[in-house]
Amino acid sequence: MTTNYSRRAFLGLGAAVGGGMLLSACGGGSASGGGDGGTLKFWDMPWGQANYTAAAKKLTEAYQPAGSLPGATYQGLQWANFSQTFSSAIASKTGPAVSTGGGFQAFQFADQGAIAYADNVINQFRQDGTFDDFLPGQLDAMKTAKGYAAVPWQLDFRIWWYRKSLLDAAGVKVPTTWDELLTACRTLAGRKLFGFGTGAGAGNNLGSQGLHLMMLNNGGGLFNADGKVEVVTEANLEAMRFVQDLVKAKAVDPASISYTTDNLITQWRNKRVAMGIHTAGLDTDTGETDGDLQVMGPLTGPSGAKAGLVFQNNIMMYADTPSQEGSEAFLSYYIKNMKTLWQQNVVAGLPVLKSIVALPEFQAQKQKAKIIAEWAPVAKTFAANSPTLFGGLAAVDSSQPITQFAQTVLAGQDPKPALESLQKALEAIVK
Amino acid sequence: MSPDRGRWWRFAAILLITAVVLVPVAAVLILSLRPGVASGSRAAFGLANFTHVLTDIPTLTWLGNSLGVTLATVAVSVAVAAPAGYVLSRGRSRAVSTYSLLLFVVQSLPVITAVIPLFILFARVGLVDNLVGLGIVYVGASMSVAIWMMAAYIDSIPVSLEEAAWIDGASLFTGFTRIVLRNSLPGLLSTAIFTFLVSWNDYLVAIVFLRSQERFTLPIGVQTFFQQNGTDWGSVMALAVIMMLPPIIVFATLNKHFSVGGIGGSLAGT
Amino acid sequence: MTLTAACPKTEVARTRKPRRARRTLLVLVAPSLVLLLLINAYPLVYAALQSVRDGSLINAGDYVGFENYRATLTSPAFWRSVQFTLIFTVVGVFGSWLGGLGLALLLRTRIPGRTVFKTLLLLPWVVPVVVSSTAWNWLVATPQSPLPSLAQALGLGTPLFLADPVLAKVTVCVFKVWISVPFMMMLIGAALAGVDRTVYEAADVDGATRWQQFRHITLPMISRSTYISWILMTIFCVNDFPTIFLLTGGGPVDATTSLVVLSYRTVFQNFQVGPGVAIAFVMTASLVVVSVALYRQIRKAHV
Repeated sequence: MTTNYSRRAFLGLGAAVGGGMLLSACGGGSASGGGDGGTLKFWDMPWGQANYTAAAKKLTEAYQPAGSLPGATYQGLQWANFSQTFSSAIASKTGPAVSTGGGFQAFQFADQGAIAYADNVINQFRQDGTFDDFLPGQLDAMKTAKGYAAVPWQLDFRIWWYRKSLLDAAGVKVPTTWDELLTACRTLAGRKLFGFGTGAGAGNNLGSQGLHLMMLNNGGGLFNADGKVEVVTEANLEAMRFVQDLVKAKAVDPASISYTTDNLITQWRNKRVAMGIHTAGLDTDTGETDGDLQVMGPLTGPSGAKAGLVFQNNIMMYADTPSQEGSEAFLSYYIKNMKTLWQQNVVAGLPVLKSIVALPEFQAQKQKAKIIAEWAPVAKTFAANSPTLFGGLAAVDSSQPITQFAQTVLAGQDPKPALESLQKALEAIVK
Repeated sequence: MSPDRGRWWRFAAILLITAVVLVPVAAVLILSLRPGVASGSRAAFGLANFTHVLTDIPTLTWLGNSLGVTLATVAVSVAVAAPAGYVLSRGRSRAVSTYSLLLFVVQSLPVITAVIPLFILFARVGLVDNLVGLGIVYVGASMSVAIWMMAAYIDSIPVSLEEAAWIDGASLFTGFTRIVLRNSLPGLLSTAIFTFLVSWNDYLVAIVFLRSQERFTLPIGVQTFFQQNGTDWGSVMALAVIMMLPPIIVFATLNKHFSVGGIGGSLAGT
Repeated sequence: MTLTAACPKTEVARTRKPRRARRTLLVLVAPSLVLLLLINAYPLVYAALQSVRDGSLINAGDYVGFENYRATLTSPAFWRSVQFTLIFTVVGVFGSWLGGLGLALLLRTRIPGRTVFKTLLLLPWVVPVVVSSTAWNWLVATPQSPLPSLAQALGLGTPLFLADPVLAKVTVCVFKVWISVPFMMMLIGAALAGVDRTVYEAADVDGATRWQQFRHITLPMISRSTYISWILMTIFCVNDFPTIFLLTGGGPVDATTSLVVLSYRTVFQNFQVGPGVAIAFVMTASLVVVSVALYRQIRKAHV
């Protein structure tokens, strides 16, 4: 029994088998992504409530390809661990031909050579007039040095909300500047109400995105005009000192650094929060569309600037496809026909096309219409003040350093060292 | 203190402990009975969430998938672990201890690191978005621990029982099946239950491996309620309650075997 | 019936014809070996290669030697995570062991409704973590949640169970113990079921106290199960991702970031694949070292 197989032989066998399998897995093969049997795989995230997926599936299946181009099949995905889902699929060549996904996913995969650029689609849009249907600047945001990484299809804003009844009861008028905001927060704090509702707990990025919005509002941001990380600036420092004043004024719930999105929504619903930065969907999230929750106008910062934060959610095409022409035809179809999703009111995001904004179904949603009217013109991208979006952003939004930064500042600690360690950490991530 | 009084004290103690331990589980039950938590409706308690998940959503398909994968995993895992555990328990050679350690080493790599390489490997043989593939991963993921659990239990079975059989001319294999396995019911059940729960509760592997809704297991089904904005907690909790039922049934059915198991009886005869 | 007779240890190979026995043992172990190589060895080798490269999740990248390991071992965030991982593991292992042992011993005695309790007490393990983390969040997250409200009513102020760095550590550890006690209870319960009751009768006759019986009969009889349960729970705690990630996400300010959470965030949120996998490997290596130490202990305890 003792010498039947020696330890060394045994480990050698293990290494050989393991290594052999690795080689065979890396050796390419006949597997093909993007779809097979003459159809394109379209993968989509859950962009609304439960009825969204059914509507998007119907839209996909209604696609009638021209000539010999392939048709398309719909696959709904989940948000949980979605970057693993995409990465493992692309690495094993079982990924989609076309997909929605994370806001910066297209740029990230483009850096790794997995994206098919959308320039042909955009050129076609220029010819048929669709190009001018996009809200100003939104399509430009997709441009990289090598071409358009993707096509935007909906907008996701971070904006200020308030609860009218609480402000009225406190005799506070809706703030329009930072000074008024601070005064309002002090008055509300006297009634044990929070004027800077936020959350930075598990899976919740609203905390860091809110701080980012405050930086942008003061002319700052995470990046400089060369697209390099530059967070230790006077503008950012001033903005974060202002947030520190808000914390001192008891405008920030001390428990909020551990709030999940659901915790935060509960606090809004339970009327603990009077004002705060949130997505465009706050009123539907809390289940109140009676007008008590309202969108503020963009605030004027100390320097006189106004700003919002916007993410261009986009549809991207992959290099691994049964037919590039087919991918382009499908993407073009989807953009031109997606208005039905807003007509059915199943998407949480805001439209990127003027023709959809103009729909009576959309204009009936007063808060969302107000966001497009007042916030869209001043909104900046996550990459501001860099002129273009880029792949490294995927590693910044929701990254560990930025979450840690938000938790530190919202806990009322000195923002200067926090900004300095953020600078160091982000430099290591964004090469 | 009379034995009877001690009995009631112990009863009070366990009652209190159980009550405290079950507070979070009670929270799940309460939330599952509150209709439309996410919608902000203040309606009274009711079974609306259960009707919703059972009629509007393929919950029963997911339940079937979960049961199928889990039961297959349990069967294979126990069949693999029992003989290997026997070898680990009785073997005294360097090869055996090396193997025991190797089981440990491969088990130590976290699932989150292993799942992408596994997906790539399985994609090559067409075993992704496939319940068989998922089951194989679960067997691999639970196997090391299952073997160790079996080894630990078999340790408590005296070798003298087998020795007696060997003297009567039984082979090693017969000794294993006739003596050890027959006396291993509590160990086999513990191992089965461990494997059951590994497979039943997993979402980290399944979320990467499964794509089609008709192949989802329940934990992935639960994920479909986590939408872009907010979560339908009523449905999530209702689904959670449905998810808890099969393990509870399994435990309740098998419980008496835990206590009557053991080898006191056979020892008394020697 | 003596104590030694209940726990003999003979070497199989010595009592049987060596060659046939050896072949049988090999056959018995073969299925697990095949699975081990197929399912467990492959990701290990794959990840080992990732850890010495600077690739992304979909590209292999270039060989960078031990640069990722150097970066890992010199990063303060890594050592903070080591610290929390140790706390989490020690509390998780011994907390759940003490709880599980206590409950298993209690449930071995005659108690009305014993079977019902046994089943009910397994529930924390049965509830999917996705759900139980939500239930715990619901209990503690906001100042208006049940537990903080209770503390307030008792005049204990408003504890921030998840937002205060120290309390968050405590909460996560208690959550882990809560989930793990049933497993320990079951494992120890199975071992206790294997203990021959007549031994206690003999000890009673000899006038041994309850503690002496526990110390000198019960504990030694379940010693190997105990060590194995410690090793298993050590693996479960060190490798545990969902428990921490779903409850706190590793916050506030990294207070509850264990190594596996740090590894996950480095790979899947910061997209630094090489460094993240290197963290996992350093962790795996340390686990192996600890396990070897514990494993020696088993053999010592049982020869």
